[in-house]
Amino acid sequence: MDFLKSIAIAASGLRAQAGRMRVISENIANSDSVAQTPGGDPYRRRIPTFRSELDRSLEARVVALGQVRTDPGDFQIKYQPGHPAADAAGNVKYPNVNPLVEMTDMRDAQRSYEASINVIGATRRMITRTLDILRG
Amino acid sequence: MAISDIPIFAMLRTRMQWHQERQRILAENVANADTPGYRPNDLVEPKFNLPPPGPGSGPGPLQLARTDPAHIAGSTAAPQFPSNSRLYQVRPAGNAVSLEDEMLKVAANQMDYQAATSLYSRSLGLIKTAIGRMG
Repeated sequence: MDFLKSIAIAASGLRAQAGRMRVISENIANSDSVAQTPGGDPYRRRIPTFRSELDRSLEARVVALGQVRTDPGDFQIKYQPGHPAADAAGNVKYPNVNPLVEMTDMRDAQRSYEASINVIGATRRMITRTLDILRG
Repeated sequence: MAISDIPIFAMLRTRMQWHQERQRILAENVANADTPGYRPNDLVEPKFNLPPPGPGSGPGPLQLARTDPAHIAGSTAAPQFPSNSRLYQVRPAGNAVSLEDEMLKVAANQMDYQAATSLYSRSLGLIKTAIGRMG
């Protein structure tokens, strides 16, 4: 049935957005993770990517979470001579995670997730209407 | 005589299939709302009041007259069917899906589908009335 295909496509969107949320929460959780060794590199921000792939059984382009890339941006450097991860000059590298960017990204993921949920709800109501014909 | 031989049921069934197909395409658009380079699709609304395209089905589009054989023929032929691939905005990643627009379309599709199924039930009721109450 074609309506079930619509639901499956929307579910692929839900899965992809949930994977994106996982990467975002990883970034936020690690926003203060510094290196274990003095002068080493801290956590590097990760960026989720999406790709559209053709699902042959659904005959439609579903969405999937692609490779998770790392952000090549510069680390934040703070002068903390007493810190165990500080280099010879007393500087500590902090991750290149900007909480504001992560929050905005999270809202965007949430919005797309809700849109997919809406599609599933509308499709379900359409199926219910079809079954209502039987009841007459 | 099968019930699908009655024209109104055949028409409503085609309409419902169209909505089903459209729902699939809209779901595809929403799922790919963050895929770089994705362009949304939509089905063209079926038009019953337009004559079918083809030769001899009307005067055809106006042609510009050429007063000199060296002139380049101007083409004024309008597209036969309106395309629904309107793009509101293309984001820097090349994605042109507008979630608000897609939500509107999903809601409209659902309501139109509901109208079709209601008409189907009503038509079934008419047939039941015609058969009459037995027993």
